Amino acid sequence: MSDITPDVVVDARGAACPGPLMELVGEFRQGDSGTVYELQTTDSSSSHDVPEWVEDTGNELLDIDEHEDEGYWSIFVEKV
Amino acid sequence: MTNGYAIVLASGRLENIFAVSNIASVAATSEIPVDVFATMDGLEAFDSETVDSMDFEMGPVAEAMLTSEDADVSLPSETLAQAKTLGPLEMYACELSMDMLGKDLDDYEDVFDGVLGVSGFLKRARDKQVVFV
Repeated sequence: MSDITPDVVVDARGAACPGPLMELVGEFRQGDSGTVYELQTTDSSSSHDVPEWVEDTGNELLDIDEHEDEGYWSIFVEKV
Repeated sequence: MTNGYAIVLASGRLENIFAVSNIASVAATSEIPVDVFATMDGLEAFDSETVDSMDFEMGPVAEAMLTSEDADVSLPSETLAQAKTLGPLEMYACELSMDMLGKDLDDYEDVFDGVLGVSGFLKRARDKQVVFV
């Protein structure tokens, strides 16, 4: 379990790919460098693909938590 | 680093339209320029009456996406409209296709930046990788 405290929580649970990424990027556009985001997603493909986007865009992937009992992932990203 | 993609969407099959909308949208969120030229059946898939009635040609994958109870799947027009607010994505409707059917942009979903012929599209595609679907 991550002990990261995000500045912004993006609850995209229920949305299919690429919805979670789109919701994260929508919040990213409004945030400053250094802002930490938690993206919550139930979409398995997004749990793999969002980290690819983070790496490709030069932002920082801080952690990924899988909440198995609740059926979702938390992806922690810092805007660089 | 690519100069972007120029995607020709000529297929009206819903799986292909989902694929184009997802790839174009994710590229745009990565600040990769994308121009989509919707032509032939690919343009008609954005006809508002077609979208309202969900009268698409589709196979099992698209059917599963539309009927999924576990996931909220946005329609291509919804994903593209959202992506246009997030990155350099431009959508163009084929003038020839519209002329043949006597339509104008008001007949289609509100995702298009304008109407283009082939020369106009090729001019925009000159520095981009062309993808034909």
